[in-house]
Amino acid sequence: MFKIEAILQPSRLDAVKDALLEAGIEGMTILEARGHGRQKGHTEFYRGREYTVDLLPKVKLETVVPDELVEKAISAISNAARTGKIGDGKIFLTRIDEAIRIRNDERGPTAL
Amino acid sequence: MWKPGTLPLPALRERIAASAAGARAAFARTGDGPACLRRRSAEVDQLLRTIWAGVLGEREAPVALFALGGFGRAELFPFSDVDVLFLCGSEAAERDAHELIRSATQAIWDAGLRASPATRTVRDCERLDGRGNLEFAISLLDRRFLTGDAALGTRFEAEVLPAALLRELPVLESQLAAAAMSRHAKFGDTIFHLEPNVKEGPGGLRDHNLVQWMQTLRLLAAGRAWPSQRPALLLRNGADTLPALAARATLTGSPGYLDAAFVFLAAARCFLPFRSGRDDNTLDWAAQDEAAAQSIGLETLGSAGPAYWMRTFYRHARTVYRRASILVDAAPADRGKPLLRALRRKRTGIAGTPFVVEGNRITLDHSALTDADALLRGFVYVAQYGSRFDEEAESRITESLPALAVQLPEGPFLWNCLRDILLGPHAAHALRTMHALGLLELLLPEFHGIDSLVVRDAYHRYTVDEHTFLTIENIHALRTPRHEWERRFSTLLPEIERRDLLLLTLLLHDTGKARRTGDHARESIELAERVFTRLEFDLEERDTVRRLIRNHLEMSHALRRDIFDPGTVRAFSEHAPSQQQLKMLTLLTFADIKAVHPDALTPWKAENIWQLYIATANYLDRSVDESRFHVDADPVVLARILASVAVHGGFRDAKDVQHEQLRAFLEGMPQRYLQTRLPDQIGEHFRLSLALALEPTQLSFRPYRQYNEVTLLTRDRPMLFADMAGALSAWGMNIVKADAFSNAAGIIVDSFQFTDPFRTLELNPGEHERFLASLRRALEGKVGIEQMLRARQHPRLGRPAHPGLRMEGVPQPHFDGESSSHSTLIQIVAPDSPGLLRALATAIAGCGCSIEVALIDTEGELAIDVFYITFEGRKLRPREQGCLAEAIVAALGQERNGVSLKPAQLGVVDGANPV
Repeated sequence: MFKIEAILQPSRLDAVKDALLEAGIEGMTILEARGHGRQKGHTEFYRGREYTVDLLPKVKLETVVPDELVEKAISAISNAARTGKIGDGKIFLTRIDEAIRIRNDERGPTAL
Repeated sequence: MWKPGTLPLPALRERIAASAAGARAAFARTGDGPACLRRRSAEVDQLLRTIWAGVLGEREAPVALFALGGFGRAELFPFSDVDVLFLCGSEAAERDAHELIRSATQAIWDAGLRASPATRTVRDCERLDGRGNLEFAISLLDRRFLTGDAALGTRFEAEVLPAALLRELPVLESQLAAAAMSRHAKFGDTIFHLEPNVKEGPGGLRDHNLVQWMQTLRLLAAGRAWPSQRPALLLRNGADTLPALAARATLTGSPGYLDAAFVFLAAARCFLPFRSGRDDNTLDWAAQDEAAAQSIGLETLGSAGPAYWMRTFYRHARTVYRRASILVDAAPADRGKPLLRALRRKRTGIAGTPFVVEGNRITLDHSALTDADALLRGFVYVAQYGSRFDEEAESRITESLPALAVQLPEGPFLWNCLRDILLGPHAAHALRTMHALGLLELLLPEFHGIDSLVVRDAYHRYTVDEHTFLTIENIHALRTPRHEWERRFSTLLPEIERRDLLLLTLLLHDTGKARRTGDHARESIELAERVFTRLEFDLEERDTVRRLIRNHLEMSHALRRDIFDPGTVRAFSEHAPSQQQLKMLTLLTFADIKAVHPDALTPWKAENIWQLYIATANYLDRSVDESRFHVDADPVVLARILASVAVHGGFRDAKDVQHEQLRAFLEGMPQRYLQTRLPDQIGEHFRLSLALALEPTQLSFRPYRQYNEVTLLTRDRPMLFADMAGALSAWGMNIVKADAFSNAAGIIVDSFQFTDPFRTLELNPGEHERFLASLRRALEGKVGIEQMLRARQHPRLGRPAHPGLRMEGVPQPHFDGESSSHSTLIQIVAPDSPGLLRALATAIAGCGCSIEVALIDTEGELAIDVFYITFEGRKLRPREQGCLAEAIVAALGQERNGVSLKPAQLGVVDGANPV
């Protein structure tokens, strides 16, 4: 099993969710986030003052998938989130040792 | 000590099981909750009498058995505890009866019931402690003698208990109120939960009990004895059916409505445990679906939709909660300093009304309430101070409504009252009260459709009416922002020129949801049109509200796109083409999202709204010059303008409009001009442009509610904008907003909105003509602006208008050479002062620059001016920019020091170019 963490443009979230559902991945957690990579933000001018918007709005998507679905999930996220511009986001993978369903103590990929 | 007798426990158990099954079957058949409760209570009464007789045998004991709490009210719900009081005549009797009581309790358990016994002596009850054991003290209010020592029971009922309760009365009332407030707070002080608790939640059965308890205590206090009839007992004797109650209940909040609410809630609370097989009070979604499918608590059998069923639930819960809240509010405070209490008791009348204010409560004197003006003034007071009407006042208000309905207030009178209510800091509370009493729907029947309307999705926490009130509450809450991210939005609030229209928009924005057509914004506009007609709104007021309702979801939609993409900003700006509209739409979106759910507006989302606001505000200021209207490129818009100008511009019909002249007038105008002007304004400007051949300077004057507007049409020339600003200043007018547009033919349309601090024009209607003639003479160069300024010199005029506003150093102009392909933008943010605009325009003209577009705004004490500048028809080069910056800084520095600048000081010499 792998945990996939994806940092996305908020505007692409619906498309990514749909793509993951189509790929057979139903469970996910969405977090509101702010940050920047190489995109770095920009400067705005408001009421005579200049200020820098350096932490841009992002969403973080987390999902844990069985090994056989990892590539499918990555592909779904990448294709749906890509606009070709700076700031499209990142995908991180982490190996997961165990998953436990709290309701019935089920373990392993079937608990996902 | 007595020894207990023997009991036929298996038979008792079977009897209880059979009784429970029978009650369940009867409920499934009839859906009659109160009947189910009565039936179960009667069965358990019988069982307890049997058990007590069984354990007592042939003996007698000075012990009386009372049913307490819900059991005492004969409202024993399925799976509920059976509260029993074993009242002993003395301590010795208690000791002697100990084994009997233990055996009886054991037998109740063995029979299959959950016993909750209490053993007290008469002396214990005489020392009733409302503060220490409120629950027990209150449960005694519902005591009902079951069996045992009847003489003891009668003495307890008639003497001991009333005396003990009367002694503890103030404590009981205050503690009961405090416990209710604490319970309500646990549920967020709202009845509107997606999965409400029908027992403990606000407006639930516990609140219904609370109303009865409070009324019992009041009647006890008034009569010093038990009331002859217990309050709200209509259902106890089984004589009343739901239709009978509904027929009798004509007024919201009347006892009839309360009992109808009880019938519904009791049915719901019977349904839940029967459904789940345990003591369950939560109406989760699945339960709502099933309850609706079985029409639980409804008059008609068959199947109802879950939304309709929940709407019925909320209406009943609102009735109960309202009555409970009034009683809780009226309960004596347990604490408080004597002086404060005395101040709270002070009675003062509300001028011109029969209402009297005592503390935070509004009562009615003995005169009749027949005057809509007086009634609405009462609500204006509520909106201003957050007071509450007492029960009697509310009843008399509802009683007066049929008479008021015959002659409903309309027009400006109604709007002025509604306006004052909407603008009050407690507007949401006043509107909720008006809604609960039926007054709001009487005045605005368009609101009826969203009364308790449920939106069943994962996001909406509240019914549509409550959501509406919350949006208004959210706007007023910005006066005292609680979070840093709210503080930013609060800065916009004082800058909204027509806050009343924003609040009215919020009141109407979701009324169309009742029609369920999928486009509630369109439906809400249609309903709002009727309101406009009744309130006699002018075209601009209609346009403002209509536009806001139409676009109230657009900012939320834009947030789902990339808000830093210029395309997103540009598309969104189409829905808010002026800074005022943008600010209103931003606050509307803020309030609307926040009122969906307590957690709907996260700091993250609020930040995104703010970023989109800033990006759009900047876009609006920087894009005017780029986007111009070309008649050949957009014939559809031209046709629309032609039609609307014909209708609104004072022409007989479209044929009467000189088509070619209109094309010439509109060609090259900034799109912003078309987006921010009403058809009748464009029509008027066009008419003025036609008259230019006869008179080269055309002026028009329009008074508005909060300001006046003068519009100038003429051919452009250097210093024109500065002269107009100077002439207005010379008349003592305070320019709060201005814009300047020009078409391809070089005809300029300059509009100046100004306040009249000395009320010269308001108090002297004859001055209008002289004012316009004076402006015309100044613009045509027949009189010098400096001469006018000197003639009107006032000690205050030379000083900054806002000496309290501090800015570090002299404000600097901000140049932007990127946003426009034709012009250089200058944004100047500086403390506002009477001659500022004149000084800036003079500095610009003095450098030989032309103002292509000007967007002048004031936000509180700040002037925020944007000029699109060209030099010899092109953008400014760095050296020209440097010179202009110096001139502007000099002008700002002089203004800051209270010295008015003359053109010569800024380098204007006979129109020569000093750059």
